[in-house]
Amino acid sequence: MGWLPYARWTACAHTDPVHLLHVVGARPNLPKLAPVYRAAARRAGVTQTVVHTGQHYDDALFASLLADLALPEPDINLGVGSASHAVQTARILERLEPIVTNARPDWVVIYGDVNSTAAAAVVAAKLGVRSAHVEAGLRSGDRTMPEEINRIVADRLASLLLTPSRDADEALRAEGEPECEIAFVGNVMIDSLFEALPRARALRRPAGHVLVTLHRPSNVDDRSRLSSLVAALRDVAAERPVVFPVHPRTRDRLQNVAVGGVQTVEPVGYLEMVALMDGAHAVITDSGGVQEETTALGVPCFTVRETTERPVTVTSGTNRLVHDPANLPGLVRDATRPSVLPMIEGWDGRAGERVVDALLADDLP
Amino acid sequence: MKLLHVVGARPNFPKLAPLSRQARAVGIDQIVVHTGQHYDDAMSASFFRDLGLRPPDINLDVGSATHAVQTARVMERFEPVLLQHRPDWTVVYGDVNSTLAATLVASKLGFRVAHVEAGVRSGDRSMPEEINRIVTDRLADLLLTPSRTADRTLRAEGEPDDEIMFVGNVMVDALLYAVQRARTIGFRSQLGLSTAPITVTLHRPSNVDSASRLGAIMSALRDVAAKRPVIFPAHPRTRAQLAAHQMDVGQVRLIDPVSYLEMVDLVEGSHAVITDSGGLQVESTALGVPCLTVRDTTEWPETIECGANRLVPDPADLVDAIASITRLDDAPRPEGWDGMAAVRAVDCLRTH
Repeated sequence: MGWLPYARWTACAHTDPVHLLHVVGARPNLPKLAPVYRAAARRAGVTQTVVHTGQHYDDALFASLLADLALPEPDINLGVGSASHAVQTARILERLEPIVTNARPDWVVIYGDVNSTAAAAVVAAKLGVRSAHVEAGLRSGDRTMPEEINRIVADRLASLLLTPSRDADEALRAEGEPECEIAFVGNVMIDSLFEALPRARALRRPAGHVLVTLHRPSNVDDRSRLSSLVAALRDVAAERPVVFPVHPRTRDRLQNVAVGGVQTVEPVGYLEMVALMDGAHAVITDSGGVQEETTALGVPCFTVRETTERPVTVTSGTNRLVHDPANLPGLVRDATRPSVLPMIEGWDGRAGERVVDALLADDLP
Repeated sequence: MKLLHVVGARPNFPKLAPLSRQARAVGIDQIVVHTGQHYDDAMSASFFRDLGLRPPDINLDVGSATHAVQTARVMERFEPVLLQHRPDWTVVYGDVNSTLAATLVASKLGFRVAHVEAGVRSGDRSMPEEINRIVTDRLADLLLTPSRTADRTLRAEGEPDDEIMFVGNVMVDALLYAVQRARTIGFRSQLGLSTAPITVTLHRPSNVDSASRLGAIMSALRDVAAKRPVIFPAHPRTRAQLAAHQMDVGQVRLIDPVSYLEMVDLVEGSHAVITDSGGLQVESTALGVPCLTVRDTTEWPETIECGANRLVPDPADLVDAIASITRLDDAPRPEGWDGMAAVRAVDCLRTH
């Protein structure tokens, strides 16, 4: 029996601690960070630093999200605030560079498709520090979306491309990314969703409503587009309750638009949002994450966009692209939940574990 | 039609010059934005005159800083300029921080970007220039390539065929434009050279930031200089490093940075060139002067394929390499290195 502890001791002695420096910037990053952070915290020899760039500065909502996702306060807040894309990206570059220079982490871990994602990828690449992109390979094919630019830059520079679905693997291969950099891990947001679902159901919120989220410039910045969307929502609201948590950028634009029976409410926390989706008759959205969460919950989703970067939600899930708002009332009326939940590979609540496996595996000598 | 050119560092200007001349010749409106990423006295009115360029219209004065800070400043200051001028094309050059920064800003705002010298790769991501190249090419809408190798590289990266346009090497346009005048300035005779010298330029961090690496290169150059004059126009950072480590330069003649025309004259009359610069590999190849590149990789493989350039990663090999070279007066130039690249580039911008 004497050799076993000794062997363990030598194995530990030769394994340097691995330092992960997570960079998040906006609320949608947090449900992606949470499962990775928790899985890494359970592993021996991993230290973690969370940098919040402060791209979204609504502190109350951010704090409630942290609580709902059982995440600690970020270690570092860069406080960049809101600004144009160029200025915001610039501030993140300037403020993140000294942090990565001093920390020299084994990995800079970046999430999704916000300005912080692209900026952190540039900083790490220039400093010769490896970055890993969680939710790599998503493409809408529409470069007028600023998120698409962020995704493309992040994937081009990251050394490890952690993909949520097989179509993402294919997209990266078509862009010439080497096979050894692509790792299919599944969908981390679904980890957070499954983890939160029992707590959300315990809230016992009413069901049967239609949930709406809209925030994309292509929908809310164009007055005539926004008016036709709201007109369709008013028609839907004539038949069923319509609950519309209003994103701050949408609120200003809705000021002079008659919303009729649509219940506009303040932005909600993560658990409330899960409860609202879970109980919904259907969801109308232009968000990327909601398309996935509704598929995982088996809730019919109508995405008011021409493209989706998450095609698996259309081919295998409950999502449907609806460009013309006039079609919404009829589609919502006829919506039914599938009799069995869609099963998508890697949407199993274990993606965070696989992310950490990939980060640590690559670190072996 | 309106072009907005963005340049930031000295090596960008010989690429800009032939394009802006051609655009002017065919009556296209244009604005030149100089980010001021790199500024020194050598970039004076005479530098622009040597290249047949007017001084830039707008200077963003970002100055030198870390990569992230410099990129950030260019982004912040370039965004309002772009929104004010709203060009049909934002034209970016080469691989400096300004190239990347301007491309990020323009693509976020939905302005089309053309990259001159697209598809150039060293394969070495520890070079900051490589990061600038790969991000710029991924985002740009029109990829104007200097070589067929660059076309193949971009296709392998999944870039669509209709974005890739082979135009040839604009640096060679600038060189051929300057070479007649360079011969008249008599720079070599001012240096009092009796035989064709070896011209040296070094500026890459991988060569000059490490004292042991720089020491090994200087040791080889001292040996080379014992047999033939060695002229070394030293970049200020290189000179500072040599002084900081009190390095013996032997008979190597360190001179101040030279003007564009002086460099063309010096290189054309050289027995060989020792460099780590990308541009000088191109220029010496175009002039038929043998080049030894003190690096592991090159982003200009066609200079090696045509026999003009050779990689010498180990400085200890430089002495033998110099001894074994022969000047290739009739060496074939790579395709598109014919002085007409800017004409083809402007055609692409007008028709794309």
